[in-house]
Amino acid sequence: MIEFDEIEKRMLLKLVYYGPALSGKTTNLLRLHDLLERNGRGDLMVLDTKDDRTIFFDLLPFFLETPGGLKIKIKVYTVPGQVKHDATRKAVLQRADGVAFIADSQLAEAANNVESFSNLEKNLAIVGLDIENLPLVIQFNKRDLQNIIPEADIKRVWEPTGIPVFTASALQGWGVIETFSRLAELTYRNIDKRYGLKNNYGLDSETFLQKLTRKTEGTGYI
Amino acid sequence: MEKSKTESQKIEYIVGTEKGLKDLLSETEVMLLLKGVVKAGAASAVITDAKDRVLWSNGNMQDDSPYIETGPVYLEGELVGRIKVYGEDRSKSYLKNLTGLLLDTINMIIHTNLKRMLTTEAHTTIVNQSYEELLETNRKLSLSEGQYRELAESLERKVQERTEELRRAHARMLQQEKMASVGQLAAGVAHEINNPLGFISSNINTLKRYIERFREMVDFYHALLSGGEIADKVRGLAQQKQKDLKIDFIVSDADELIKQSLDGAERVKKIVSDLKGFSHIDEGEEAVVDINTEIDRTLNVLSHEIPKGAEIIKDYHDLPGFVCNPALICQVFLNIILNALQARTGTLKLVISTDIRHNNIMIKFSDNGKGIPDNIKNRIFEPFYTTKDVGKGTGMGLTVAYEVITAYGGTIEVESQPGEGATFIILLPAKRL
Ligand SMILES: Nc1ncnc2c1ncn2[C@@H]1O[C@H](COP(=O)(O)OP(=O)(O)OP(=O)(O)O)[C@@H](O)[C@H]1O
Ligand SMILES: Nc1nc2c(ncn2[C@@H]2O[C@H](COP(=O)(O)OP(=O)(O)O)[C@@H](O)[C@H]2O)c(=O)[nH]1
Ligand SMILES: [Mg+2]
Ligand SMILES: [Mg+2]
Repeated sequence: MIEFDEIEKRMLLKLVYYGPALSGKTTNLLRLHDLLERNGRGDLMVLDTKDDRTIFFDLLPFFLETPGGLKIKIKVYTVPGQVKHDATRKAVLQRADGVAFIADSQLAEAANNVESFSNLEKNLAIVGLDIENLPLVIQFNKRDLQNIIPEADIKRVWEPTGIPVFTASALQGWGVIETFSRLAELTYRNIDKRYGLKNNYGLDSETFLQKLTRKTEGTGYI
Repeated sequence: MEKSKTESQKIEYIVGTEKGLKDLLSETEVMLLLKGVVKAGAASAVITDAKDRVLWSNGNMQDDSPYIETGPVYLEGELVGRIKVYGEDRSKSYLKNLTGLLLDTINMIIHTNLKRMLTTEAHTTIVNQSYEELLETNRKLSLSEGQYRELAESLERKVQERTEELRRAHARMLQQEKMASVGQLAAGVAHEINNPLGFISSNINTLKRYIERFREMVDFYHALLSGGEIADKVRGLAQQKQKDLKIDFIVSDADELIKQSLDGAERVKKIVSDLKGFSHIDEGEEAVVDINTEIDRTLNVLSHEIPKGAEIIKDYHDLPGFVCNPALICQVFLNIILNALQARTGTLKLVISTDIRHNNIMIKFSDNGKGIPDNIKNRIFEPFYTTKDVGKGTGMGLTVAYEVITAYGGTIEVESQPGEGATFIILLPAKRL
């Protein structure tokens, strides 16, 4: 959690899309931006300053207000995948409330996925987050391509870990909302345990999810 | 309120901390714009925060202007404030355009400033990580690297175990493949052999009848020659010829030759049927059978092989139906009973018992034959392993039995004390899916 101001009734959460370079993190946020209702989310900010390669991340903010008047803002970030941007990754990971790991399904990218995942484990430990208790989901992206790791292999490797795994094609736009929803659900569960979102502010899991993942065709206000 | 720690001068930079409008807009920038709006004809211009508190203003605030134009100010997509432009009622549309322009400019400035701030902030913080901090990071890193090395080592061990497992599975698979192809080959060969074998047996049988006739003819000549009406010379010549051609020996030996040929053909037939049974284990019709009935059926087929005086004791219990290919299961019983017949040392005593044991159908064949020495006990199920004379046993009987029983999810074991007979114990799962 980035910030919680009980008097001002503001809560600031952070979700991070982690993964190797070019696995489709930005594309995931772009899709969320396109697929989800305008009300309740901000615009996607892409920070890819060409001359200053130290910083390189994207941000998509979401907002909602609980019946009890608590304003919740959720900032969804991507991290730069390149190995050399480890410092930025740590800065983005600081105080994260949940992580979606976006893996590249292409067989040729298997090693990069592994490297990036162990980098995640390492950085979580460094910024003091416990991987066991942190909401974490995995997405195998780019399922529309050829030469990708078979779904059975994904299941075999990841199912025993208990981490929810999704397949997706961010390019085609499927699997993206599912990944985000599950991450949001797990995050709600965690935050609710500590801050009593339901008991103190009247926000239950369904409403939280429904507000965050409303598709564009709706017109209602949050 | 939870805020980033600033303990011991260490700048802990967290991407995502909130910025207010006051952080993002500078007084000079804003005032310049508001003044511009007033100069352009508005009575006054104001920027408030989300709670309607005035942050900046310009113009005559006492003025009770009849018309207000407002617009939202966003930060990261969130409504953080409003701009308000006051003026005359008659310049409505002009004020509207002015407000729109001001709004766009403010929002654009916010966006660029935010971007610049995030960039420089992250940059300087990350570049300026203090020496101590680097040391600390390094210490943590090497610590966690140690953990990872440990993890990697245990991982390596697991990988090794897994590899070994895979290697064994692979070897097993190769073995099975080899067996399968041997089986296919055998089935093919068996089929090829069966056809000529069919006419060989039938021809030999015909030949046997022909030879009977020749023998009759020879006997007839014999009788004629021993009669009185024949000239001595003729008789002498005939007897000489019969002696030269060894007709007496031939006649008596022909029987033996034919009997041996028929035996041989019979043996080839058995090999062929064993080979077929061996290679066709997963074929054929399945049915629900009563094991007791099948054993009896097998004994009936064997009745002419069972020597007089042999004692066959049945100790059957009611059994649940078993789903299998009846021909195959009979083949198993046949092979085991035949072995018992062949292993007998005196009068055969064979006890066949069936029962239910822990959800298994148990079938026991206990003979009183010569028994099986310890050193060959683990070999008798091997293909082609036999202790019988060349030509007598093929060594396939128990192999077939083993293959059939294991294919049905059962087990077959032997208990034996040399000199005291052998007991074959078959367990079949009472319920097979
Ligand atoms: N009841 C038994 N008593 C003693 N030895 C036995 C018994 N059954 C099998 N054996 C031993 O196991 C060996 C293998 O038996 P198996 O039935 O496989 O082949 P076989 O009887 O030699 O030949 P086949 O059955 O093919 O004519 C036999 O040669 C014999 O030595
Ligand atoms: N075929 C395919 N390409 C994808 C998919 N998702 C992303 N990409 C492409 O992969 C490249 C990198 O994507 P990007 O989102 O920038 O990756 P990031 O580095 O993780 O942010 C771009 O060319 C995307 O168009 C997908 O699901 N399928
Ligand atoms: Mg990106
Ligand atoms: Mg035998």
